[in-house]
This record gives sequence, structure tokens and C-alpha cells, in this order.
Amino acid sequence: MPGQRSAVNRRDETMPAASSSDLLAEVSAFLAFEARLLDEERYDEWLALFTDDARYWVPGVENRARRDAAGPVSEDHMAYFDDSLADLRRRVTRLMSSTAWAEDPPTRHLHLISNIEVETTAHPQEFQVRSVFVNFRGQGESDQATLYGSRLDLVRRDGDSNLRIARRKVTLRHNVLPAKNINTFF
Amino acid sequence: MTADPASPELNDVLRLPGLRDGWLDRRVFTDPGVYQLELERIFARCWLFIAHESQLPKAGSFLTTWMGEDHVIVVRQRDGGVNAFLNSCPHRGNRVCKAETGHARGFVCNYHGWSFGLDGDLTGMHEASVYDAEPGFDRSRLGLTPVAQIASYKGLIFATFDPAAPSIQDYLGDFTYYLDVILDNDPAGTEFVGGSIRSELGCNWKIAAENFAGDALHAGWTHASGAEAMLGQSVPQLGHPDAVSYHVNTNGHCWEFNLDAVGNAATFGDRLVMRYLRAHHDQFRERLGETRARMVGSISSVNVFPNFSFLPGQNTFRTWQPKGPDRTDLHTWVLVNKSAPDEVKEAWRKGAMMTFSPAGLFEMDDGENWEAATRANRGVVTRRQPLHYGLGLGSRIDHPELPGNVYQGQINDANQRAFYQRWSDLIQAATWDELDQRPDSVQRPDSGKRPDSGQCPDSGRP
Repeated sequence: MPGQRSAVNRRDETMPAASSSDLLAEVSAFLAFEARLLDEERYDEWLALFTDDARYWVPGVENRARRDAAGPVSEDHMAYFDDSLADLRRRVTRLMSSTAWAEDPPTRHLHLISNIEVETTAHPQEFQVRSVFVNFRGQGESDQATLYGSRLDLVRRDGDSNLRIARRKVTLRHNVLPAKNINTFF
Repeated sequence: MTADPASPELNDVLRLPGLRDGWLDRRVFTDPGVYQLELERIFARCWLFIAHESQLPKAGSFLTTWMGEDHVIVVRQRDGGVNAFLNSCPHRGNRVCKAETGHARGFVCNYHGWSFGLDGDLTGMHEASVYDAEPGFDRSRLGLTPVAQIASYKGLIFATFDPAAPSIQDYLGDFTYYLDVILDNDPAGTEFVGGSIRSELGCNWKIAAENFAGDALHAGWTHASGAEAMLGQSVPQLGHPDAVSYHVNTNGHCWEFNLDAVGNAATFGDRLVMRYLRAHHDQFRERLGETRARMVGSISSVNVFPNFSFLPGQNTFRTWQPKGPDRTDLHTWVLVNKSAPDEVKEAWRKGAMMTFSPAGLFEMDDGENWEAATRANRGVVTRRQPLHYGLGLGSRIDHPELPGNVYQGQINDANQRAFYQRWSDLIQAATWDELDQRPDSVQRPDSGKRPDSGQCPDSGRP
């Protein structure tokens, strides 16, 4: 339906400006490494991948009509996460706490990252990176939850030439979250 | 009532004969027959929370929600009122509204184009001329089915499917004294932050509702890791000998709170919110009196019977929507004072996200416990073992100021017993009249009588 809103993206998209295959490979490896840190619950190392001014946003996705100008995502509405780096650190503190009873035995995480696209920006050290994910968690004998979504990242190369995540917007494909909690990150 | 009479064995479960001594039959959480009776006699009968006035700002504003397993459209009318209808076409039953919220001039069924106004009236359909030629066809009798009663209490909209249900004022009873703590501490009233976060829990709805009704005990233990992360310290001990804290309940509506410990608002550690509450304490006192002014940010939790819960101070509001004996959908919102500065409203929005949301530091541990308990209760031998609800059996007191049934001490099972007693009374009574005549259905602190049936929620006396 041209001119009408889809459930997720609100602007017309075109193919990203070609980025070098080296850059694509570098960003892909960075995202795969990030995913493995989350799978292995190496949260302190994961936090180190973010810039100090990072914003990590996982909005609630509302089930609205196409004609509804509000769209599925609103900045000031309720969200799962709308975090600064300090907020993320607090969540990690709880996950790593010896009294986080729900985390023991540990969750079996799998972060599958795909459809990676890298786009250069006006700033030579910043890249817009799109990806999609499947996030599986197994717990206990047979508890499991599978969440799907896409990510829009602003990735910045820092002074040491390392890639860092400065902004992440996660758009889940769920309205009612098919899980009792989100004891993970996307 | 339309429910089939329960089997004799089921009736034994529904009577909860052990409750007065502090024991609960686990089959209330697992039995499919019990669940069907709940839908008929609790959810199709009680007043249920369906919306906050602020979610429906103008004529045509709508949202969809659940009353039991019945899906309803709640919509602002052209005259400024609010009505609610079953979201089901009277022709073939299809949903007529598929969005969770928005603005509409009416609702149209996808199947055959049956169309309905904001008032629920049938306004047309595909091939209407054929219907109009049909002898005896009467559009006026084919509108969307409205709820039986709908009413608002200080911003909160409730509805019931039961035309015989008492008024919302009678249903809430003395509990409005307590509700005003959060709904009427500011002259401008309250509103919901936009949006709603919803998630699925693999637990029975009652285990969540009773947690908010009275379970202060779990806060310091279940949420030890969350408190450490939010505050850098544990939840303060709530059951110390000098504690000034209470369980109070009326008609199965329950509030547990203290008047002397660090507040709920403090437990998400937000300075802006704490500053706002402190700056307005005189206003709260003026509007509510000293005691209730201290309840505004107290460590406390509330359940309005049957399934509407909130935390004063943190201001997370939620319903536990039944989806089967072992599944519940959790719907959450954030309530703020309408006149609060934007940055304070934002602090509440973010605070709720950080604490009581699926990714929140506190909520994460609750779902885990409730699912594991629900699953364990399925075992045929396990479910024969009664659960202990025996804390505070002698804790009932007379209080010079607090209305309803009042119990000394926040670390208590009194409210949980009252919740299940109301549940038992409702599920057994075929009519509201019958319910009112039960010796223990009106539990006034001044009655001083201990009913001689097995129905007393509590063997304590004034």
C-alpha cells in the first residue's frame, strides 16, 4: 500500500549507498562478536562496546491501523528499554548479582544476527548499521522464548579505531511480548 | 448465572474450608472447571478496570481490551461519555476492531462490511438493499453488544457485564478512601503515560493478583538483586517490631502499606520523583490528611478485585488478563499526576521501565516464581498438598482512622486470605443478593463477630 504505513518502518527505504566490502566485513564481525558476548553473558565486555553517550531504545510496538498517524512506535510512549549507558549498567548489575535467583541455573542464550547493511554517513567515522535478529532463550527443562526484531544502530569509530555502538533502536515484531521477561539484550 | 452447577468435588474446592486456618487448596490454580467458573462468576460479573479517561481524549478515541476472555472496544462517545462493546460482529462473530487503540468514526467488520457507529448501532452492510427487503429485518436490534454497566472513578473506567451488579461505589465500598491516595492527591487528577507494555506469563492470574494484594514478604527476598542494582542496598526489613504497617481490605480489594519506611518511589531511586513527592507533601496532607499523605510514596501494593493491580509511588498499573488456568497476559501502564512537570512524568515513565516491566529489574524475578509455582501445582499429588497462608491469623485490629478490615503488620497473609475469600464467595453465590447475605461477606471491623461457618477469611478478632 504505497503511502501507507507498514507495521515497522516509517520512511521510504532505498538500497544503502555502497560501502566497502572491508567495512561490511568489519561491522559484521563486530556484530557477531557482540552477539557472542551476550550468548556467553559477558556483560561487562558487552557494555564496553557502547560509547559513553549511548542510547539504547526498545520501544513498545503498538498495534494500530495503517491510517493512524501515530504509527506503531512513539518516542514518549512506554518502552521496554530507553536506556543510557548508566541504565544498562544497572540492569547488568542485577543480572550478575548472586541474588538474582531467576538467573540460576543460567539461561541458554542464542543471538542470531543477520541481514547486515552498512551505510556511510556525513560523518566519516560514523556508520548506520541495520541488522535483524532472532533471540532464543532456553531455561530450566523446557522453558523457552523466541523473540524477533530488527536493529538500527549508529556505529562510531573511536580514537583507538575500535567500533562502538552510539545509538541502538530495536524494533520488536511482537505486540504482546511472547515471554515472561527480557533477561537479555538485543 | 449461566454456569453449570459445579460438581460436588469441585464445590469442596470452591468453599476453601481450610482458609480460616490459613490453608489454600492448590486446585484453585489448576482445575479447568474452576477456571471456567471464574470466567462466568468473577469476570462476567465483577466490575473490571478497562481504561483511564486520559486514554480516550476525544469522540471516536478507542482502545480494545479484555474483560475475562471477552474482547471489548472501549470508545469515547460524541456526547463525551464512554461506552464499551463486545468486539464481535452480531452477524458471524468476527472482530470489528483489530487495532489496540486509535481514533475511528465507527467500526466495520472485514467479513461482510457490517458497520457500526461509535454508539454501537448497526449503520449498514455490503448489499444493504437485500437486507432492507428482508421482512422483519431490524437494524436497531443488531448493534454491538454493550457492557451492562460502565462507570468512572476519578479517572479510572470500570465496566461489568452483569446488569445486577451493585453500583461501582458499592462495589469499591470503603476502598475509595484508599484509592484517593493515588487518584486524588492533586487537584488536576491523573493520566496514563502513552502506550502499554504487554507480555505473556505462564502462570495462573490469581498468583499475580494475590502478590499485589498483600505480598510484602517477597519484596526483600525475590527482589534482592533488583534492589541491590537500583539502590545499592537491600529492601529494608519490613517486619521489625516497631513497624507501623498494615494490611487493609474491603470487598476483596486489598492494600498493604507502611507509614514508616523508605518509600516505593525511593525504590527506583529517582531523585526527581522523590523531590516532587516531598515538595507536594503539604498538598497531599491538605487533601488527604496526615495518614494518607504518608501513603502516597509508601512501600505498598494494591489489588482491586479481581485483577487490577498497582504500586503507589512507582505508579505501575496493570491488569492480569486470564488466558487459561496456566496463562495470563500482563498489561501495564504508568500513572502520573496530570499537573506534574514533564521531566517528572518522564522520570516515572523511565522508572517503571527500569523496575516493573518485562525487562525491569524487579519484575523479571516475579514471572519466574509464578510460572514455576503454577507448573508445580499441576502434579496430581502436589496439588493435594495445601499451601500455607497462615501468617497474621490473629492480626486483625480496630483502627481509629482506617476503614475496612485492618490488620496489623505488612508482613502478613491477611489480604491474601481476604482475596481468596471474596473469590470463593463470588464463585459460589449465584446472585449478588446471595453474596450480600453471606454472614462473612461484609467484613466490618466493628462487627466483632467470628462467623461460625468455615468461611471466615481470618480467625483474628478486634
